[in-house]
Amino acid sequence: MIAGARAGTVSGLRRLTAAAMARDLHAIIVPGPEVARARGLDIESAGLQIAATPRHANVLLLVGPVPRELGDAVIVLYAQMMRPRAIFSLGASATPSPLPHADVTADLSQSGLLDGVTRLRSAFSRGAFRLGVSDFDAPALQIRIEYTCPMHPEVVQDQPGSCPKCGMNLVPREASASAEPHHGAEHATPPEYTCPMHPEIVQGEPGSCPKCGMNLVPREAGSADEHAQGHQDADMDHGDMGFMSMVEVTKDLPRSPDGLPMDWIEVPFGPFFPGLPGGLLLTLTLDGDGIAKARAQSLVGGSGALPASGMGAADFVEHLSASDPLAPICYRLLACRTLEAAAGQAPDEEILRGRIAAMERERIASHLGWLALFARQIGFGWLLRRAASLQLQFLHADIKQVMALSPALQALIKRLQRTPLLKSRTAGIGRMVPDTVLRGPVARATGVGDDARSRDKTCSTLGFTAVSRDRGDALARLHVRLDETRHSLALIKAAGAIVLPTPVDIGVISGKGEAAVETPRGEARLQLTLDNGRVIDARLDTPSTHHLDLVAPLLEQQELGDGLTTVASLDLSPWEVVQ
Amino acid sequence: MAVITLQTFFIALFGIAALWFGVVVFRTSSMMRSALALLFSQTALGAMFLAMQAEFLGVLQIMMMATEMSIMAIFMVMFMMDPGGLGEMDMTHQKRLSIAAGVIGALAVSGVALFAHWGPTATVAPAAAEQIRGLGTELLGRSMIIFETAGVTILTAMIAATAVAMPVLQRKKTS
Amino acid sequence: MRIAVVLGFLFAGAYLVAVLEARLATGRLRLAAPGWAAMALLGRESVVPRQPDRLFFETAPALLLIAALLAAAVLPLAPGLFITNLATGALFVNAALAYVLVALLMAGWGPDGAYALIGGWRFLGQLIAYSMLIVMPITAVAMRAESLLTTDIVASQTGLWNILYQPLGFVLFFIAAMGVAFLPPFDLPSAEGELAGGVTSEYTGVRLAVFRLGRLVLVITLSAATVVFYLGGWLGPVLPPWAWSAVKILAVSATMLLIGHYLPRIREAHLLAWCWKLGIPLALLNIFIVGVMVLVWP
Repeated sequence: MIAGARAGTVSGLRRLTAAAMARDLHAIIVPGPEVARARGLDIESAGLQIAATPRHANVLLLVGPVPRELGDAVIVLYAQMMRPRAIFSLGASATPSPLPHADVTADLSQSGLLDGVTRLRSAFSRGAFRLGVSDFDAPALQIRIEYTCPMHPEVVQDQPGSCPKCGMNLVPREASASAEPHHGAEHATPPEYTCPMHPEIVQGEPGSCPKCGMNLVPREAGSADEHAQGHQDADMDHGDMGFMSMVEVTKDLPRSPDGLPMDWIEVPFGPFFPGLPGGLLLTLTLDGDGIAKARAQSLVGGSGALPASGMGAADFVEHLSASDPLAPICYRLLACRTLEAAAGQAPDEEILRGRIAAMERERIASHLGWLALFARQIGFGWLLRRAASLQLQFLHADIKQVMALSPALQALIKRLQRTPLLKSRTAGIGRMVPDTVLRGPVARATGVGDDARSRDKTCSTLGFTAVSRDRGDALARLHVRLDETRHSLALIKAAGAIVLPTPVDIGVISGKGEAAVETPRGEARLQLTLDNGRVIDARLDTPSTHHLDLVAPLLEQQELGDGLTTVASLDLSPWEVVQ
Repeated sequence: MAVITLQTFFIALFGIAALWFGVVVFRTSSMMRSALALLFSQTALGAMFLAMQAEFLGVLQIMMMATEMSIMAIFMVMFMMDPGGLGEMDMTHQKRLSIAAGVIGALAVSGVALFAHWGPTATVAPAAAEQIRGLGTELLGRSMIIFETAGVTILTAMIAATAVAMPVLQRKKTS
Repeated sequence: MRIAVVLGFLFAGAYLVAVLEARLATGRLRLAAPGWAAMALLGRESVVPRQPDRLFFETAPALLLIAALLAAAVLPLAPGLFITNLATGALFVNAALAYVLVALLMAGWGPDGAYALIGGWRFLGQLIAYSMLIVMPITAVAMRAESLLTTDIVASQTGLWNILYQPLGFVLFFIAAMGVAFLPPFDLPSAEGELAGGVTSEYTGVRLAVFRLGRLVLVITLSAATVVFYLGGWLGPVLPPWAWSAVKILAVSATMLLIGHYLPRIREAHLLAWCWKLGIPLALLNIFIVGVMVLVWP
């Protein structure tokens, strides 16, 4: 039995169809495939295909507990899926209310996934069709109809009617019920009256023009200058042809640099968009396929923030590490280093080296994960599969395995440097100039050699050198990441062993400490205040927080595909965004 | 006789379809529907040519119109602020003038159809391959100068239109 | 009977293309996968989105399939094995393929979804790029055959296949054919990572099944056109003619899919720039060279 069964009796043919569905599972993954991979799950080898849109998916795969902020989005996602549909939850039993309970739950591990898929298949073949299914409804799905003018998008009201500016019938459009309704801003302005021939005549009530005796016509107050100007142009162009002039009705609309007034549409990309990291929401105002305006926000940011009551030191390490599923080891290291700085202790050299190897291994895995996500966006099938499979192998590899995987990684890098179309696809896209807010590979692609590892003594003894490229575009960012991957291999080899960071016992101390770690996305800094062994204040500064703010200006006037490539090339982690 | 009747039937069918789609063009407020109705009107004309055994002409018409009308559709959608026709805006204007122009045009075309001397009627249409050969000979013979002139004129117009639209030249004009 | 054989051939080819596509996407070769997938799609709900242009939404998948089938109707698989042999065959292929564009525009406009809409218009841009590179190489092929009949075109390659006689035309036509079938790296209208499926993003259930079938048949049709125009159609030693056609068509389809698997998607601006600045001059050069060759070695 599955909660999202399709209505119908189970007849012979339906039984066959249900068997087919059990063999053809398409999953839409929450929060996203990149998180699933970073947690070590190989979704595709378990027999689930990754769907690009909820319309084509029949399994809602929840990887870990759903963050509260994504709850509504997940409900909408589920509602868009076609029946029969099932919910498959890994590592959490609760689903955001009022979603039905997960049909299959399993541990958050590859074996749990495999076992869950088997149970999912039998659930589909047995319960894809059922009598008496009920509609799924939730407050998040409520929509409100509002009315707007096709020519004047600023005119929005709750009732049908005609546009006060051009007299056209208003058209209904759907808006989310939760969004702030617009309350007739247009009606609030009292109309004023003016003469069509003599725009300088303006008065508060209807009447006739003192200059020519014509009846005055109403217009909206406060736009006198603009109107007078427009009126004269219109007069010259159209005289008295007696029909609605496109030039006149479109003259107040915002224009793109090409001068053509087109319908602007606002399109959300995310929070579960195939080519972007899960949890990132881009709202693009599109002018044709050009981006007129962009807004980027993280729906899952701030998860690393400290609860008001404070936290024990050891708990804080776990908390910070879990806050970003895309770089857990680096954040664990950051927490450990800061606590050690506060306590004034330092672990011995061997542990420090091992920690660097662990950080570099995560960097390789993270860059490979980025490559897979980027490949998905730019439609590069081979790279998607290759990078994803290497990422999974690197994720928990020990030093021997890392060395064994090294030739495969080098081959991948070499191959990317020779791939036709890849250069033309990324060169010149999302160009940035050196700026102090930039960090990590994004900064180093603009020719700035800034890297927190250069300031680390252990890294220097291991032979670390920062890489940099100077074009500042998506291609340079790709190259920086590829070079870094190579350097990371060398660092791991030099370190000789991989040691996961564990907090040293700092005792019951009070004081402050600060440290920095070069995460795969750039330098993250943390300042902690401790009181009797408890963390009472934490200030986190992460690279994606700064990079997210750059998205909007960077995207403007780009073609849609190029704009998305730009965002992907920044390698944002919505999880580490500090709000 | 039966064949001719069938042929007449199809000619009439496609003719009516062409007219009907032509009417649809003006009866919808959606720019996309309007453009595609025009496309299917023209496709019906192409089918009519096929029914009249003018294979090359028919296929050419069907091919050309698909792309041309689609390209027209995007321009209509771009320039009209309400391309979906949701605002039920009245798109007709200067009705009297257009009715008059339409009636005069129709009369003129029917006049030409009825009173022109079309030459002797062929009893059998030449085979399709022969028609293509004939058309080619015609295009490279007597009609060559007409087609070349038309072609060069269109090319000139395209270059001129592009030049006018180029922002560099526009900036010079305004400064 | 003849019609049934050709249709059976096309659908069998489409099935094999689907198997290969699934192999590239998942890394596993499962012969039954497309069959199960199709059956699962038929059993799934198929909804019409809110506020659609319903006429276009419903017509588009069928029109895509019909356009692909019509184009295939004039392509001979063996002597005598074709649905119809029009005197304007080579031109008719073009005419039918032009309606692929119309189908995609309808699929883009119909569902009232932003991703689909952008996908549909993107394909119009793509047409501006590829259409000349379909027509002009075919012109050169017809020049050599001195006929638009597809059977004559195959017969004209008895001594030397067109891929060797006019390799430039072959390369241009092959690239343009991938553009028509919106195969990667030309999958701009249905891009997964940029438009979440684009024109297909709002189709579900049986409508999606028809759309996907139409796309697969289109791939086979374009491979068949490449084979007829450039690879000597059914010509070849030992094997019977229909077998040669089958082998060549599947080989061309597989090549198209494999090329796309190893390349990132092209940028729309580059596609247009390269097709117009490089492709069209080369196509003209090809016509010129073929013209000279036809006159020198008749």
